[in-house]
Amino acid sequence: MRTGLLMVTLMVWGLMAWGVTDVREALAVERAEAEETARLLAKLIRAGRLVIDQNQAVIDDPHKGDKGFTPDVFEQQLIEEFRKETTIDLRTLAAAPSSILIPPLAKELLPAFVLASKEVVRDAQVVINQRGIGYKNFIPATYGSQAARRFTTQSRVRLKQTTLQPRNPKNEPDEYETSVLKWLSGRPKAEAYVSELTEEGQTLRVVMPIYYAKDCLKCHGEPKGELDISGYPKEGAHEGDLAGAITVTVPLSTR
Amino acid sequence: MGHDDRDSVLTVNRRDSSAGGLSAAPRWALLCVALAGLSLQGCGLVYDALQYVAPVATDELDAICRRQRVQVGMAVEPFRPFVFPAIWTDEGSRVTGLDVELVRHIVDALSQQCGRPVTPVLHLVRFRDLFLHLSEGKLDLFVSAVPSNMPVQAWAGFAYSIPYFQHGGLSGITRRTDVAERIRQRFQPSSGASPGMTASEQALAGLTVAVQDGTASRHYAAANLKDSRMVVCDSLPAAFESAETSADPWIDVILGARPVLEYMVTRVKKDWQLLARADGKPFFLTRAQYAVVMSEESYRLRWFVNAVIFRLDESGRLERMRARWLDEPYAFPRRAAVEGLPFDVEKMVSHYSQGECRADRAR
Repeated sequence: MRTGLLMVTLMVWGLMAWGVTDVREALAVERAEAEETARLLAKLIRAGRLVIDQNQAVIDDPHKGDKGFTPDVFEQQLIEEFRKETTIDLRTLAAAPSSILIPPLAKELLPAFVLASKEVVRDAQVVINQRGIGYKNFIPATYGSQAARRFTTQSRVRLKQTTLQPRNPKNEPDEYETSVLKWLSGRPKAEAYVSELTEEGQTLRVVMPIYYAKDCLKCHGEPKGELDISGYPKEGAHEGDLAGAITVTVPLSTR
Repeated sequence: MGHDDRDSVLTVNRRDSSAGGLSAAPRWALLCVALAGLSLQGCGLVYDALQYVAPVATDELDAICRRQRVQVGMAVEPFRPFVFPAIWTDEGSRVTGLDVELVRHIVDALSQQCGRPVTPVLHLVRFRDLFLHLSEGKLDLFVSAVPSNMPVQAWAGFAYSIPYFQHGGLSGITRRTDVAERIRQRFQPSSGASPGMTASEQALAGLTVAVQDGTASRHYAAANLKDSRMVVCDSLPAAFESAETSADPWIDVILGARPVLEYMVTRVKKDWQLLARADGKPFFLTRAQYAVVMSEESYRLRWFVNAVIFRLDESGRLERMRARWLDEPYAFPRRAAVEGLPFDVEKMVSHYSQGECRADRAR
């Protein structure tokens, strides 16, 4: 009788332990997938910023009317930059098998971000295609802010550009972002990112740093305090300094 | 618009149903009404009679409150610092300037008047089309540094608010020091030449002047500068481009709104200079005051806009606006991001081009 009871108890414990392990494994997989998705999203917005930067001279050409920088042209360049960065071809993403490298969530969200970005470029056409107007303020930062905002309103994942002293108050870092940005600013430039669970494991936050490139310094470099072309005081930054970060917030266990 | 359309559909339906009630009336009564109607045609009496029996609600202020939107026109060609070029911001595309700030004040007052928020729908169209759009009923009002005291035939039949900017006027700029000196010497108001128009005409005689099509400068030049060659440009930036890069047509002087020209030569085109008189005073062809333009029948809206401008003036706000946009150092993209207004992309001319300049062969 006792032996039977012991057997049953052991079986129950075993099943519970197996269940717990199962749940832990599921959570670990979910986190890994969310983290990879967040990382890819951050890389995608960074690729979009790069495309705008590469086309800045065309966009700001006062002698040209129709610049030919259409949403479709932007999309092609964005996909290409993203492919160079990650080897993932967004054109064939739907057909690609899901894996830890291309999680199902990424297959859903990456095209959504491309669409949001195209909408931004589409809406900016009237501004971009003005002839006789040079600087139009359609720059990596303003593109990124709009694209992130549009994506966020249509998604459960939050995408944001932030920095310790943002020019746009809407990009003000929250407490968590502030602490990460301060930590990052004390470290040398690196191809790394910060990933942490917050809100008692309910949310995954990924912070990918952005560093100042040479082109950025026209507006953000020296002399510190002098007004740049858009009317903001220059930050006095140097090439390689931390410019800010792209942050991605993914709610977990809500899918 | 959508609300309006629905409202009008409902109204029509209500009228249809009441007409259905009339169908029950004796046929002879309908015949009498039809005969009476026919006998009144051509005298405008049918309309008057209908108005007497059932006055139509034509109050444009109520209409704005009902649709919670005010259709505002603005020139797509920049008239800095009144209207700056459309620019991209973190919030999307925006337009800013002194005129935009005025529109904000008018809209705030409308929201207060209506008891619910009123949104401005900005139509960025070519300056010359603003009057057309207003007369077609596409706009409730427009504002783009429009002088209210110019005797321009094409601008007749519209109503102007009290002025919101008193320091306007027509003036000129040149890039050539010899032209500036020549005008300085020619414009000697106290040296025997008759004052006013004759002196201005003499000062610019023999020179080629560029003016923007449809604007006060074009109308002034056409009416008064008989001895000058005229080049008509689609915009002020086109005049600059033509003068700086092409000898055909040749441009000696660009005429335009003095505050706009002053802004350009002090902040953007620093190799140009404002024309001045021999005594050092600014060279003016005429003075002008800028006003908001509305339909002549928009009586209540005109009273309303006048009251807003009057209150802004009395409180000193208008003067602060003037100083803020004309005197202070600033970069407009930042102001556009903070206080600019969005505009209706669908109602903006696609692929806005500053256009070009051409000689006025008729002269």
